[in-house]
Amino acid sequence: MAVAVNAPMAGKLLAVNVGVGDHVKENDPVAVMEAMKMEIKIFSPASGVVKEILASPGQVVGPETVILTLE
Amino acid sequence: MDRYQELKEKKEKILAMGGPKAVEQQKKSGKWTARERVEYFFDPGTFTEIGMFVRHRTTAFGMDKREVPAEGVVVGYGKVNGRYVMVASEDYTSMAGTFGEYHGKKFAQAIDMAKEMGIPFVSMNDSGGARLQEGMDTLEAYAWLFRSQILASGIIPQIALLMGPCLGGQAYHPVMMDFVFQCRKTGFMGIAGPAFVKTQLGEEISLEALCGVQVHAVKTGQTHVVAEDDKDCLDKAKELLSYLPQNNREKPPRIDTGDEAERLIPELDGLVPEEAHLPYDMHEVIRRVVDNGVFYEILKDFAKNVIVGFARIAGRSVGIVASQPNIMGGVIDCDAADKVARFVRFCDLFNIPLVNFHDTPGYMIGSYEEHKGILRHGAKMLYAYIDATVPKVTVIVRKSFAGAYLGMCCKDTGADFVFAWPIARVSIVGAETAASVIFAKEIKAAEDPARAAAERIQQYRDFYENPYRGAERGYIDDIIMPSETRKYVARALDLLENKQVARPWRKYSNINL
Repeated sequence: MAVAVNAPMAGKLLAVNVGVGDHVKENDPVAVMEAMKMEIKIFSPASGVVKEILASPGQVVGPETVILTLE
Repeated sequence: MDRYQELKEKKEKILAMGGPKAVEQQKKSGKWTARERVEYFFDPGTFTEIGMFVRHRTTAFGMDKREVPAEGVVVGYGKVNGRYVMVASEDYTSMAGTFGEYHGKKFAQAIDMAKEMGIPFVSMNDSGGARLQEGMDTLEAYAWLFRSQILASGIIPQIALLMGPCLGGQAYHPVMMDFVFQCRKTGFMGIAGPAFVKTQLGEEISLEALCGVQVHAVKTGQTHVVAEDDKDCLDKAKELLSYLPQNNREKPPRIDTGDEAERLIPELDGLVPEEAHLPYDMHEVIRRVVDNGVFYEILKDFAKNVIVGFARIAGRSVGIVASQPNIMGGVIDCDAADKVARFVRFCDLFNIPLVNFHDTPGYMIGSYEEHKGILRHGAKMLYAYIDATVPKVTVIVRKSFAGAYLGMCCKDTGADFVFAWPIARVSIVGAETAASVIFAKEIKAAEDPARAAAERIQQYRDFYENPYRGAERGYIDDIIMPSETRKYVARALDLLENKQVARPWRKYSNINL
């Protein structure tokens, strides 16, 4: 079952640190965003393989934005 | 029959709970029995049972022939690390630990007694739910339980241990206690179980997905501590009790932890990045400041952008509230505000001093949190801190901006002492925002607007983004080296030991709920 990695809050996506096919572990930082002038790491909620990357740097994101999905 | 023999046999039968088959089933499902739990929880030989002969009086629907040993709940008192605690331990082997009229009466009376004796109350929840055969009698018994626990709230600490299911109206019982523990594989708490959800709504969902640990410890914030199994749960509950007083008229016990009160912490100097936008783990700071690095975290997996929990400083029990820059930059959102406010109020009720570590860019802005009611939720923190009369010591580690400076407890929202590290930035707003407002016209008219803005931002930053403006007004009592933090906090707590606050009578404040 695919797991969605969402932005934790509203802000701007700075970078996605993984690519499709990469293995990630639970709590690995997979992306970085900026909000409230803070650099904010986005942690993976689960272990898995990156299936799709759905957001790109510079994009405005929010709690409903899926950054990437895992399988 | 010999009367003495009769007593012996009756007791043996009750102590055997639901019988060997049911007990075996209980063990198979990975759980201890109600009596095993009680036995392990209390200091050896100190448990005394109350009301083991209590029996239901329902005759309808075959109940006249049903014997339910101890009415499915073992009630009594004993000592935990030398101090009395009252317990109600539900027995799933006896008619599934269902909650009937006399089950409820035993529960409620135990709480009433604990309240009058001024001793903590601990429930061990493991019940199949309402005993439907008893109808209205069961329903009203819920009210006895809720009334007893709510009237005891703030007088004695109350802890619920979800070691089995607790579903239906009964689930309001654990959630209204001060702390809820949940066993990872066996504990469940929900307003309705999956079967009822399916018949009423057509929604198909497993018990675990509906109301397991992942739901309550992570999403809803209704489970404060997650336990791996029964033993772990009881151990963790005993550990929590060690930080708490017996009732609201006592102070928590002060113990000799062997950690020197004024110990300097050289590795704290330079530990936190000066660049205010960089994340780091605030646990690293907390662990170094408290006695022997021991921190008992509450709601560890919920609203992780703030940290709350218990620790000791110079042997005194303290409640720690800290921003967590590692998660969401340490911003305060609705969930974080709820988490802090209830924790602060608990500490205030039970005479536990508060130590607050600030490093937050503010309350979260934007439509998502605005529409969730960040103002109403954020207000809870202001109410909680200003209402609290316990000693409060604040350490401004790095950023403390705007409303969050007030909400995390500043001088005039209740702190008795405020200390700031040299890298602290305390201001009403960040320099970029301030400069863009104050110098809007000038920047727009400038030959090189970007350069003009950068200059003005730097000016504002140099002037305000430091701890000295606050210290000049006395809002910061002292600016200290990070390595001196424990020394200053320990001294402050020592001075504040017998702090007394007199306020005019009112029923209570109208906190935003």
